[in-house]
Amino acid sequence: MSNRNALVLVALALLVFLGIQSLYVVTEKERAIKLKFGEVVQADLPPGLHLKIPFIEEVRKFDRRIITLDTDPERFITSEQKGLEVDAYIQWRIDNVRDYYTATSGGDMFRANSILESRINSGLRDAFGLRTLREVVSGRGQEEPLSTGGRIEDEGERDRLMRQTTQQINQFADGLGIEVIDIRIKAIDLPQEVSQDVFSRMRSDREQEARRFRSNGERQAEEIRASADRQRTVILAEAFREAEQLRGEGDGEAARIYARAYGQNEDFYSFYRSLQAYRESFNDGGDLMLLDPQSDFFRFMRDQNGVN
Amino acid sequence: MAWNEPPNGNNNDQDPWGNRRRRGNNDGPPDLDELFKQFNEKLSKWLGGGKGNKGGGSNKGGGSAGSLGAIIGILVVLVIAYAAYDSIYTVDESERAVVLRLGKFHALETPGLHFKVPFIDAIDQKVNVTEVRSYRHQSSMLTGDENIVSVTMTVEYRAVNARDFALNVRQPETSLANAAESALRHVMGSATLEQALTVGRDAIQVAVRERLQNYLDSYNVGIELAQLNINDTSPPSAVQEAFDDVIKAREDEQRLINEAQAYANQILPVAEGNARRQLEEAQAYKEEVVARATGEADRFTDILAAYNEAPDVTRQRLYLETLSGIYENASKVLVDVENGNNLMYLPLDQLRRNATGSSSASGGGNGGGSDINNLSSSEIRNLTDQILGELDRRRGNN
Repeated sequence: MSNRNALVLVALALLVFLGIQSLYVVTEKERAIKLKFGEVVQADLPPGLHLKIPFIEEVRKFDRRIITLDTDPERFITSEQKGLEVDAYIQWRIDNVRDYYTATSGGDMFRANSILESRINSGLRDAFGLRTLREVVSGRGQEEPLSTGGRIEDEGERDRLMRQTTQQINQFADGLGIEVIDIRIKAIDLPQEVSQDVFSRMRSDREQEARRFRSNGERQAEEIRASADRQRTVILAEAFREAEQLRGEGDGEAARIYARAYGQNEDFYSFYRSLQAYRESFNDGGDLMLLDPQSDFFRFMRDQNGVN
Repeated sequence: MAWNEPPNGNNNDQDPWGNRRRRGNNDGPPDLDELFKQFNEKLSKWLGGGKGNKGGGSNKGGGSAGSLGAIIGILVVLVIAYAAYDSIYTVDESERAVVLRLGKFHALETPGLHFKVPFIDAIDQKVNVTEVRSYRHQSSMLTGDENIVSVTMTVEYRAVNARDFALNVRQPETSLANAAESALRHVMGSATLEQALTVGRDAIQVAVRERLQNYLDSYNVGIELAQLNINDTSPPSAVQEAFDDVIKAREDEQRLINEAQAYANQILPVAEGNARRQLEEAQAYKEEVVARATGEADRFTDILAAYNEAPDVTRQRLYLETLSGIYENASKVLVDVENGNNLMYLPLDQLRRNATGSSSASGGGNGGGSDINNLSSSEIRNLTDQILGELDRRRGNN
């Protein structure tokens, strides 16, 4: 291998290298700025193939897609001095690369994120401070009732809060070269110790409801029993009434029959009935009778003519 | 893996050559340069290298004794071979390929075999547009009436717009997850606990879905929701017991009512039966007394008829028959007391005890009528004798 060959090779390599150094591609996902000795000479280069002077100009590329910034949960205070743990996320993207580059000292995304986060935190803090807990959670005013049944109305103060905060942040973020697409509260949670209070309230609510069910059951059961008892009493009383009436009818009827028959000869009746009574009284034998021999029955025992 | 194979769906922080981008920083050498380096490395591997000197950007192939022409020739052949290889690609049935030409969006290729200009066109991503991806989220959240509810939600979605999905949002999945959680909590915050647990679940589902789709549309992320399910809403475990107790209470209520109903069902028919019995008995009594009265009256009437025919004789006869019938069955003691004012004491109980002491141990003193029925005829005779003896004794005393 000769020197010339080597030289040609080196030259070729150099050429290729230079070509590579002076060409660059900006993709759809990127925004790029061209710097000349650190000074921005061209901002917001469109996607495609571009030329630059090697070694003198350099190109910085930034993501131009929407970036999600998930903030750490922060504690905010509402207008009635209740603490809330709020977790939000922000969708943002670089809007003006030149501003972004200068404002974040060379497009440091961590820096951009932390600036945004602190701004959004203070924005949300202000917004929360102006509203009650009910307003930020449900989007409804203190006196405004929630929808009930199968209807959900989720438009309200909460949406307005987000919109306002987004607008505010955007006014500020303009200087950063950033556009905030959306700020959304992921979570509004009560602090641990307040949660316990909520749990005990929920528990007591349920206990009340359970008690209501049970006592209602007892009430209805008692009513049913009482009504049954009443019906029983009434049924029996009516039955007694009718039975007595029947018996009375029977007795009356019998008395009339007796009276009709016995009235024909009262003297004989009393005689006849007495005899019957005697027979019934002493019909079981085994009675011990002390008899006076003077009685009429023994008349003929005393005297064959029965005169004494 | 083939070295130009595009990275998998969601890892879109890689360029087509599988190099991690230094995120957020200016990346030094442009893509072509990197391509070259890669190419060299691969080349030396293919040649059974081990002597691959990874010269930064320069292509001093092997440094062997090969002539320049040969080296260039080999290079050219290799480049052409690679270009041929790089210009053909396939897209799977479920995918769409996002093709960038020199960085600009060029085409969205449908399934099948495709050609592209090597080195100029790059496949940014093959996005699976038919696959249903799902995201599941479970957490506790506040309801509008300041209760806490635990919710499980499943979001199923498709990346229907491959171009947007690949190019507009850096982390589409993360954005979706955040937006989904936010939408869910927002809607839950507008609902009451009761709605969340029971009546409002369908409405909540609809509202969350609508809201989430709005968010996603505003991010232009190319995602379309296929399905959003609120699988489960339950009270927090800390108060679950109290909620269960409500269900139990509801059952208790029903049970108490049922028991009372059972009681009613039990006593009323019995009462009806009793009433029926009373009426029947009364009716029976009525018919009985009337029948008896009728019978007795008829009997009396018949006898009266006979009596009227011969009053004295009939009267006498009836009297005697009756008394004899009575005296026939009874033990008789004739006591002829001269002076009517004489009080006579017969210790009947004692007499009876003496008579029956051997056979019966009846309790003394309380009316012996029933005992007397059980006496045998010999005992009665005995007793009679004793009474007579006693009477004699008294008469002697008088």
